[in-house]
Amino acid sequence: MPRNDPTFDVTPQRLCDMFPPSASRAVSHVPFLLAVLAILCAPTPVTAGGRPVSFRTDVMAVLSTAGCNQGTCHGNANGKGGFKLSLRGDDPDFDFTALARDLSARRVNPAQPADSLLLLKPTMQLAHEGGRRFEFDSLEYRILRDWIAGGMRDDRDTAPSVTSLQVTPQELIVNGIDEPVPLRVEATFSDGSTRDVTSLAVFEPSEPIVDINRDGIVSAERYGEVTIAVRYLNQRFPVRLAYIPDRPDYVWEGPDERNEVDRLVFARLKSLKITPSPVCDDTVFVRRAYLDLLGHPPTGEEARRFVEDPSPSKRAALVEELLQRPGFAEFQAIRWADLLRIEEKTLDRKGVENFHGWVRQQMARNRPMDEFARELIAARGSTYASPPANYYRAMRDPLMRAESTAQVFLGLRLQCAKCHNHPFDRWTQDDYYGWASVFAGVDYKILENRRRDRNDKHEFVGEQIVWIDPARRVKDPRTGKDAPARFLDEAPLADGEDPLLALADWVTRPDNPYFARLMVNRVWHQLFGRGLVQPIDDFRMTNPPVHPELLDWLAEDFVANGYDLRHTIRTIMNSAVYQLSSEPNDTNAGDETHASRAVVRRLDAEQLLDAIAQAIGAPVEFNGYPPGTRATQIAGVHAIRPRYKRPTPGDEFLMLFGKPPRLQSCDCERSNEPTLAQTFELISGPMVDRLLTRPDNTLGRWLSDGRGNEEIVRDLYWTVLSRPPSKMEEDAALGYLQQSDNRRAACEDLLWSLLNAAEFSLRR
Amino acid sequence: MSDSHPDNTPQPRAHQPSVAPGQVDRMLRRRFLQIGGAGFLGLTLPRLLRAEGASAGSGPAKSVIFLYQFGGPSHLDTFDMKPDAAEGIRGPLSSIPSVVPGMPVCEHLPEMAKVMDKVTLIRSMHHTMKNHNSASYYALTGHAPPVDDIRLRDSDELFPAYGSIVDRFSPNTDGMPTFVAYPHVIRDGAITPGQRATFLGKAHDPLLVTEDPNDPNFALPELSLPDTLDVGRLQNRRALQQIVNQQARLLDYSATARGIDAYYEKALSMLNSKRVRDAFDLSAEPDSVRDRYGRSEYGQSCLLARRLVESGVRFVNVYFSSSIGGQSKTSGGWDTHGFNNTRMYPIIKARHLPITDQTLPTLLNDLDERGLLDETLVVWMGEFGRTPKINANISRDHWPQCYTVLLAGGGVKRGFAYGESDRNGTYPAVDMVRPDDLAATMFSLLGIDPETEIRDPLDRPFPIAAGRPVTGVFA
Repeated sequence: MPRNDPTFDVTPQRLCDMFPPSASRAVSHVPFLLAVLAILCAPTPVTAGGRPVSFRTDVMAVLSTAGCNQGTCHGNANGKGGFKLSLRGDDPDFDFTALARDLSARRVNPAQPADSLLLLKPTMQLAHEGGRRFEFDSLEYRILRDWIAGGMRDDRDTAPSVTSLQVTPQELIVNGIDEPVPLRVEATFSDGSTRDVTSLAVFEPSEPIVDINRDGIVSAERYGEVTIAVRYLNQRFPVRLAYIPDRPDYVWEGPDERNEVDRLVFARLKSLKITPSPVCDDTVFVRRAYLDLLGHPPTGEEARRFVEDPSPSKRAALVEELLQRPGFAEFQAIRWADLLRIEEKTLDRKGVENFHGWVRQQMARNRPMDEFARELIAARGSTYASPPANYYRAMRDPLMRAESTAQVFLGLRLQCAKCHNHPFDRWTQDDYYGWASVFAGVDYKILENRRRDRNDKHEFVGEQIVWIDPARRVKDPRTGKDAPARFLDEAPLADGEDPLLALADWVTRPDNPYFARLMVNRVWHQLFGRGLVQPIDDFRMTNPPVHPELLDWLAEDFVANGYDLRHTIRTIMNSAVYQLSSEPNDTNAGDETHASRAVVRRLDAEQLLDAIAQAIGAPVEFNGYPPGTRATQIAGVHAIRPRYKRPTPGDEFLMLFGKPPRLQSCDCERSNEPTLAQTFELISGPMVDRLLTRPDNTLGRWLSDGRGNEEIVRDLYWTVLSRPPSKMEEDAALGYLQQSDNRRAACEDLLWSLLNAAEFSLRR
Repeated sequence: MSDSHPDNTPQPRAHQPSVAPGQVDRMLRRRFLQIGGAGFLGLTLPRLLRAEGASAGSGPAKSVIFLYQFGGPSHLDTFDMKPDAAEGIRGPLSSIPSVVPGMPVCEHLPEMAKVMDKVTLIRSMHHTMKNHNSASYYALTGHAPPVDDIRLRDSDELFPAYGSIVDRFSPNTDGMPTFVAYPHVIRDGAITPGQRATFLGKAHDPLLVTEDPNDPNFALPELSLPDTLDVGRLQNRRALQQIVNQQARLLDYSATARGIDAYYEKALSMLNSKRVRDAFDLSAEPDSVRDRYGRSEYGQSCLLARRLVESGVRFVNVYFSSSIGGQSKTSGGWDTHGFNNTRMYPIIKARHLPITDQTLPTLLNDLDERGLLDETLVVWMGEFGRTPKINANISRDHWPQCYTVLLAGGGVKRGFAYGESDRNGTYPAVDMVRPDDLAATMFSLLGIDPETEIRDPLDRPFPIAAGRPVTGVFA
């Protein structure tokens, strides 16, 4: 057998099962006289299995398997070619009307079923822009034909609904890519019956490495891992397959396990036959730890002291020391400031400082994260005196508050469900508007608004009081009526109950399946550059975590330890897994998800700028901040908006390198993507050049100290790269300094080359 | 990979070759030679820098010159004259016949009148966004904004500029930039959305030049070095940088590191390349040509646009002005409400119409004479038209419900009018076209399928253009 048994027995649906499934949507039923007549006159059609063709469970499934109702085809908001279906079969009532009733039913011809447009077009007997969707006399064809021949009945009131799907295998590690993997999909219906619906299911792989045919047979095209979202009607089931090269000689080799993180990660690596990289050396570790915890690299002195320290427990000691520094709270505050939209136009300068200061203080005091979240979610009062109230000051309408709170505190992206039921998860429009109603009562007493641009309704300058009217609800646009406020597990909000206090309780309940997992996922992302769920705020049934047990364990451990952020960070950083080198070996070169090595990534804009300023030993100016302020200490985005004062080169550097404008509640707004314009900034831009040529920078001081070339080269390496030069580097640098007739300029060139080295701007 | 390094000081690297000082010198020199030799861009541009899934566009248009008339020109006083309408509608300006029968133009566009046989007009443009920033976003991306907001915020949730889409799906692979925008970042109170790549990623932002092409010292800032730096020193720096990179071996195993290194290579190549520098070198044009385009920021911007498409740039955004303007005869855009006791007609007669009449025909003729017009789509448009009814200030206000767009070259018909406005130019009478359709038309002409899917920050799929190509304008 080339195939391993699954070595992890998780239920991928578990997260979603913790909330009971949604009640079916209440949509008024419109009886169609003609359809009833047709039913009365028509013979009962049968499927190949001997069961009558059902509109609800067969025809609707075919519209999905054939791709008719995809967003790019007839599921488009405007339809295609004058024919519109509900997106992905979201709304069977709508689709029944579209098929059987619209345009006097010209799409179907019960007298001559084979002449129906519904059959002629997808089989390309008539021109069809969407191409051939199925063959003449295929299963799809016969289902549609029999349904038409049977008089196009809608069995809305008699068809059982599908209550769950079971797909086997649900997880599998496959050695090699030659063997096809058959998937079997079984549906359980509301009448208790079960049926194999493999040929009526839709298979959507997360990565284009597999091909899945209509019978559910998976063929891999290359090695890798894939999640296949299996869908039948409104039920989904994720299947995870890992195709690994056959490694008959594989023997586990790895560092000793230090804690549960190691145990869980290494167990997974063993099952995937991946050998982790070795633990990194001290020079790499010290830089990594400073960057991850404080947002800037160590000084040359700090790096050297750590590397030369003989203590065997120095890594843990360093982590502990850095966790207690003010820089830790400052760096954490940046991440939260991004998510909480801490920017000056809407919060004003004072609001930004108060709110950012409050966040930083919570981090410095190690405020338990559940309490931190509760304060934000239930916030109210003066935006000056009670800083968390700025959470709502920044988000002026209920839908934005609802979407953002779901994303920031639960890792759920509900936005899809605003216009139609979520295509990749179970969230319905009822869920969406019920959740939005919870936020409807937030309102503002604007004590003053001294904004400079009277046309700009986003701009506020002055104090506001956030207050709550618990009776308010949002209008559900489908009904025009108030949507009853309810949480995402459908628990209703009691009348008169303070909606935000109830919400804060609900979000931070220890059994809430999302909050703690999202918090530890964010920590994992900070330390590994990638979440266990990725994107980190997109927890979704069809986007399962890469290592569910690890996510669960971290979340449980986090809750058990009082939602202590430092505890989780410390636990992870003291693991061998965190300390692995980024240099790959033959077995893990292709792995970027299982933490078998550190993944190389570019520093954040603030990290990079602070690192440059620190290495050169010259301060960077920012509009509205005193000299000596580091980029990681900046509270907002632009203390003085570019419209009123030209940004400094430092301000421009931050934007160019991807500091977000903080207009979204998404981690994705921050960009660490390298660009050509950034490279030009480093090569020929004014910022770096001005710092490098300042007479009073580090080089200037060293040269006037009378330091010799050898000393300068060695100190530069430690200062900029946190390591000594290799022999070759030292020779090259010394050679360059000696041959130069302008020593200062040559030193600048050398310093530039270190600042522009890959290992400077990349965290490895 | 069997030996793991526990906590310890760094090991001397076993594979390090020891180098004598003289060798270093030679090594450095060899590297300089390599850099110098790689001078021309195409040779060094790694595949990594190309967009994934790029399909070389194979439409009739190789390039687009998008002349954005910020502020909103009046359709009734330029290309959709209504001489038979009541005085309070038709305004004080007369129409003159053009070389195309039935396609009269404003009396102040006599040079345009001679080249109307090269253009297609769409006189039935329509949308409902009444504010400059929301309407401009619509015009610059082809996607309707979520709200008609006078200060629509420029967030990454909004759709990318046309040129960024082109840079993503049909980029230049010969080292020339794909998308260049100048000479302003336009703003109305706040930065106008639609000028950058938003969720496609910063790598697809335009090469943005905020210098005045009419300035005698105009040059691409990226290609200018600080006073203290020359190319020789830069090459020394690069050589030293490469020695460091070799030690850490990051380039061996990190695609991110290689990607960044490729940008260094590309940037240095651009600094060395004559081709990029030349494309931006307006001094290479004879004075007579520069004069013909007009010695104005906009005139020289249009000349630069011709040089850029000639050298292969795929999408050029030229912004007529940095602001909506409308109250000055010497600066600003087309937003002539007559506020503050200004009046529309004296202003557009003094500024907007003469500049347009000098520059646009010159550009079209120049492209045509060089055989470039058939492969270059010129788009002349604003965010909306202006109210058919003259207001109390003897001026016109915003009117998105009906306006005119001018297209030329790049596979559209010559001397053709598509769609019609009603009697007073108030609403489209036949063949309404939305910005969504215009977007689909442009992408089609560039050979990019308008249904090509992009994903927003929430990973939701959208077609790059939400409308349908206006095939009626295709030549």
